Amino acid sequence: MSETWIIIGGWLAAGLTIFLFSFLYKDNPFFKIAEHLYLGAGMGWLFQVSVTNVWIPKIWEPVSKGELLVIIPSIMGLSLLTQFIPKISWISRYGFTFMMGYGSGLAIPAGLSTDFMSQIEGTIKPFSLLASMSPFAIFNSALIAFGAICVLFYFFFSVEHKGHLKKVSNVGIYFLMIYFGAAFGNTVMARFSLLYGRFDDLYTFSGAKYLYATQFILTGMVIYFLVYALFAGRSKNAIKA
Amino acid sequence: MLKEQLQKFSRIDRRWIFLLLAITLLVPIIKPIGLPNKTIAEATSRVYGNIEKLPAGSFVLFSLDYDPSTRPELHPMATALVRHAFSRNLRVGVVTYIAGSTGLIEELFARVSKEYNKSDGKDYVILPYMPNILAVMTQMSSDLYGIYTKDRNGIDVRGMPVMKGVKNYKDMSLIVCVTGTAILDYWVAFVGDKYSVPVAGGVTAISQPGYGPYLQTNQLKGLIGGMKGAAEYESLIKQPGKGTSGIDALNLAHLLVLALILTSNIILLIIKYL
Repeated sequence: MSETWIIIGGWLAAGLTIFLFSFLYKDNPFFKIAEHLYLGAGMGWLFQVSVTNVWIPKIWEPVSKGELLVIIPSIMGLSLLTQFIPKISWISRYGFTFMMGYGSGLAIPAGLSTDFMSQIEGTIKPFSLLASMSPFAIFNSALIAFGAICVLFYFFFSVEHKGHLKKVSNVGIYFLMIYFGAAFGNTVMARFSLLYGRFDDLYTFSGAKYLYATQFILTGMVIYFLVYALFAGRSKNAIKA
Repeated sequence: MLKEQLQKFSRIDRRWIFLLLAITLLVPIIKPIGLPNKTIAEATSRVYGNIEKLPAGSFVLFSLDYDPSTRPELHPMATALVRHAFSRNLRVGVVTYIAGSTGLIEELFARVSKEYNKSDGKDYVILPYMPNILAVMTQMSSDLYGIYTKDRNGIDVRGMPVMKGVKNYKDMSLIVCVTGTAILDYWVAFVGDKYSVPVAGGVTAISQPGYGPYLQTNQLKGLIGGMKGAAEYESLIKQPGKGTSGIDALNLAHLLVLALILTSNIILLIIKYL
């Protein structure tokens, strides 16, 4: 890639990042431009990847070679598009039926095995190995089993939650709160990581190699907001007068 | 008087907090402080251990399913993992089920393969993006060439030295999925559990707590979580990268959040009880 294109790329990346961040101060046309460009570019990228990586090698090339069987799944896939034409939208049911049946057949046994049976086994299994476990591991396993039972009671609605059952389900709430707390803490860390990533790029684009893209665009945005505030103030005064 | 001032302070324009946060994150980028990253999670060590114990020449499949939206967290992680695999002379295969990840994968391998003098087709192969992940995973269990006949450049993969003796999951020593989506769940449920293939993962910090049950039951052989996890892995392979440099900023930002939470709670208590 030539040096000029790298600089243009840097200006584009820095500009779009600053335009999107500018929403934190106030909604503005630059944010709208970046927002729409993001959606358009994303869809464009997905379209070209789908055409070059899927449509050409999986449909066009086999059909050109005389492998006509691929036409059947292709037609089923295309049938989904009839959703957009109400009169013939019933045709899409054939495609959806296949997808539903195929998806359910794969997902239900795997889900039951992975998220249900294996988790029950994982909760109970340590109690068969108590003799070989350290006191801390025993405590850990007991805590997990206790927590799982309490949370399950909290989500069991066929019995009124009162008396001992209420106490158990209340303990379940505390376990859930601990999970939500951990999830929230991690979410904060993740958001900061993403922000750090953008700032790191902005710092990279602020170098002489990129002709100080970040500084110029940031200054431009500040000038825009100052001018906008000035004109907005004047028009308000004019209305009052 | 104090109460009124505090009430006024508690109604501060939140854009000041945004500015404070921006400064807190930007300062360590401009001038790194070098705060240490002393803790290494057991789940991260397990991923490292699983790659470390593989004999040279083993085939590891990387499912790199992230796009630019999660790049700061997951790209350093994937980079560290690929560096580790190359340093151990493992054969690397790459698949992706996210269309936006193809550019990032190209960038990663263009950079890291040069560091270890690895060549495309001989030491690693990048397979093209495929939609319908479940169909692909199912097909790969019997014959991966039924779905992947060519690499992302249109070259036939059957004749590549990197694919020698690799036909399905049984020929793979480890699968590592780096993703900001639920694709790791699919690898665990539809491949790891079903075909007894070791699966490890790298995920965003947001998703990390949800994978605890899989780690406890050993359905997941290890997990790297967020930028912190990336920094941990970089420490383990002794190659500091973007994950490690981000720790300064993360630590300072977390301290700022703690300070803000404490300050706002103290202010609220004073307003309520004084």
